[in-house]
Amino acid sequence: MKRILFVLIAIALPLFAADSPRIYVSFEGASPSTVTLGKSAEVELHFKVKEGFHVNSNQPKSELLIPTTLKLEPPTDLAAGSITYPPGKDLSFPFDPSEKLNVYSDDFTVTAKMSATKTASPGNFTVHGQLRYQACSDNACYPPKSVPVQFDLQVVNQAKRAHGTTPQNPHIK
Amino acid sequence: MKRNAVAIVVLALVVAVMIFAGVRSSRGPKVSPMIGNAEPISSAEAKGKQAPDFALQDLQGRQVKLSDFRGKAVLLNFWATFCGPCKVEMPWLVELQKQYGPQGLEIVGVALDDSGKETIEKFAKEMGVNYTILQGQDAVGDAYGAVGLPATYYIDRSGKIIDSALGLVSRSEIEDNIKKSLSENKSEAETANGRAKATS
Repeated sequence: MKRILFVLIAIALPLFAADSPRIYVSFEGASPSTVTLGKSAEVELHFKVKEGFHVNSNQPKSELLIPTTLKLEPPTDLAAGSITYPPGKDLSFPFDPSEKLNVYSDDFTVTAKMSATKTASPGNFTVHGQLRYQACSDNACYPPKSVPVQFDLQVVNQAKRAHGTTPQNPHIK
Repeated sequence: MKRNAVAIVVLALVVAVMIFAGVRSSRGPKVSPMIGNAEPISSAEAKGKQAPDFALQDLQGRQVKLSDFRGKAVLLNFWATFCGPCKVEMPWLVELQKQYGPQGLEIVGVALDDSGKETIEKFAKEMGVNYTILQGQDAVGDAYGAVGLPATYYIDRSGKIIDSALGLVSRSEIEDNIKKSLSENKSEAETANGRAKATS
């Protein structure tokens, strides 16, 4: 049995290793977030571009360039609303100093508006998604890739009232 | 109990490998553009190896094989419309095709692009491309180890790769390699062509 296990692992490992993609953007995590039932909250997702590389911003200057886009697949009790991308930096690169490209390099943050349906149950939910990007270095470009994204969102019944504030509704004491 | 646990692990591994193999085989078209049993090469160790043969469609829908150019020196250039460095070298390739075409140079651009034939065609027209453009498939890029773009392979008249470059290099470096690919194995290729003509 042990021999079979060893053979299977030996077969499987190179298959996975051969397909391991070159990674130019990493997901660095999301700001902890809470959303009240029936309301929405903004979640900040942090990404890091590998040193020496850049990726197109969400609004590249040519339709031929592949924009950075985030797609989220929330569980049924949650909904993903608008996604806000940071403005890119206008930079030129050694391969064509005459042309400026709108890119992300180093760190960048994408904000996603998340909401919980009124019928959702309070608790912790995990949201999955992926960021699609196309990276280049100073002298070469690489095929588009996707980096998986995952973050937790806590759904609560009601936002906690801050100390010292007066209730606006006469029915709330 | 311990035996059962091992059996479950083995079963899980088998299922994982089967799923993985299924995902791999479902990617891309079923018919491989590669011809023959040439081993995939990596860009770094391409020099001296026989260029893997392939068949791809040009922009007119004709099937073109790399081996169709045997007897000519080939500059095989992997590119894409989203690739800025590729755009920089295209006017150089146009000039070099004009200059060295009469001596037996054939520049072949393989577009590794998901943007579709019309976009590739429009882009090539705007760039004034005067050389063969083929609609690429990932399998061809993989066979050459073209991990980035542009990736250029200099193939002599006998079909052997004499040099390669990943990323943008200078025009003079491209020209030097073209001269080398035109001169290497020239007599050998001419003899082979002569024999082929005599037998036909």
